[in-house]
Amino acid sequence: MQAKVEADFTLDLRGESCPYPVIYTLETLEGMNKGEMLQVITDCPGSFRNVPEEAIAHGYKFAQDPVKNGQEYLFHIYA
Amino acid sequence: MKRIIQPIFQHYWNPYVVLLMAGILSAMYYGLTSTVWAVTGEFTRLGGDLLLLLGVDISGWQYFDMVHLQGETWNRPDGWIVWGMFAGALIMVLLSNNFKIRLPQQKRRYVQGLIGGIIAGFGARLALGCNLAAFFTGVPQFSFHSWIFIVATGIGTFFGAKLTKTRWWKGKPSLIRGNAKPTQLKKRIIQPYIGAVIAVLYIGLTMYFFTSGQRLLGLGALFGLAFGILIERGQICFTSAFRDLFLVGRSIMAKAIIVGMAVSSILTIIVISIYDLTPITQIAALSTFVGGTLFGLGIVMASGCETGMMYRLMEGQLLFLPVFVGNIMGATFLAYAWDHLGVYNVLVKGGAKINLLDTIGPIGAISVTLLMLGGLYALTVYGEKRYHRKLAIKRGMNIHAS
Repeated sequence: MQAKVEADFTLDLRGESCPYPVIYTLETLEGMNKGEMLQVITDCPGSFRNVPEEAIAHGYKFAQDPVKNGQEYLFHIYA
Repeated sequence: MKRIIQPIFQHYWNPYVVLLMAGILSAMYYGLTSTVWAVTGEFTRLGGDLLLLLGVDISGWQYFDMVHLQGETWNRPDGWIVWGMFAGALIMVLLSNNFKIRLPQQKRRYVQGLIGGIIAGFGARLALGCNLAAFFTGVPQFSFHSWIFIVATGIGTFFGAKLTKTRWWKGKPSLIRGNAKPTQLKKRIIQPYIGAVIAVLYIGLTMYFFTSGQRLLGLGALFGLAFGILIERGQICFTSAFRDLFLVGRSIMAKAIIVGMAVSSILTIIVISIYDLTPITQIAALSTFVGGTLFGLGIVMASGCETGMMYRLMEGQLLFLPVFVGNIMGATFLAYAWDHLGVYNVLVKGGAKINLLDTIGPIGAISVTLLMLGGLYALTVYGEKRYHRKLAIKRGMNIHAS
């Protein structure tokens, strides 16, 4: 595990299936102030790929590399 | 060893590679068995099996005659395609230690899944095929009904995506301030061992089919396994192909499916000409359009189609249990409505089996098919560009406003 980063908000999406993780993530990022950091916890396997890829495609930057935690992933994204 | 295992089980495979392999395998399966990779026909038969079990007399139902409801699912090659896909997906999920009971936080998803599943099951069988027989394996058979189905699915998906975006449908996620703790990990990893045991048992069963002279069952079991492995490892989602283009401007799945179909079409026409096979053609009628539209809407409501729900269920996403039940209910209801409620007379009777190979010859058929797929690819790229252009304009306006 990498050094712990402090998130301003956390979106706990465990249990939600696609496409909701990617919709929720993009909508939440859009509602946050620029520079704030969002932590996303998700366990839908489809979202392991579409959440980070779409966050980047929508112009957001990652605070650190995605963290694989067993059957879930943690993403840290700057709004 | 780690260098081989990691890319196979710790990472999902590139969808282009996976759909290319699926395209090649489905052309091979057709060459070997003269049937195509399909699942919903078997779902209808499962519904028939259940009705028989409940003591319902279905001897007069035309639809069950049409889909050849005979024997039990264990004695049907199409049955083994379905169970093989479940097995292949489950083995991959376990080998990559990715099984987890996943329960949606939004309870409304279960209702959405059941209703969407019913609509998708009904629509798919009305159109005589889902995203496989009327799409991924239908286009390479040059059956014109798949062309109608693709357009109709696109329309249905569009409305599904609109519905998905409404507040009452999607619900509010749990957003909290600060950090939240990730799940504590279990120290002992046992899933890959269970996966290996299931794999050995399944391969043993497949070998038994071949050695006992049940070649078609063996081929069904083997190809089903391969398709299951592929869709899970590539996270192949036909539902997302159109939907995500409308929702978030995401195009990778649509493009990969189109490329896979193009390769499969070329291989299939070679197989047809070498072995002198008859392509599998379904009726193109109003029912294809209506069914395709319902299917497109239903799969988005349910968050997964008849293929996608299989590996998701094996990952432990319990949402897809009501989807699976809904798919079978919808397919079975269509089988009833076919003759009992006049669906055939109103929507199907006026149609005809149109195969491009018969109407415009092999060169014409492959040419227009590749042209159509090229057009579809261009439309996908256009859709993605358009989404991001609109997003840039929207953001530009927000900056000016603030």
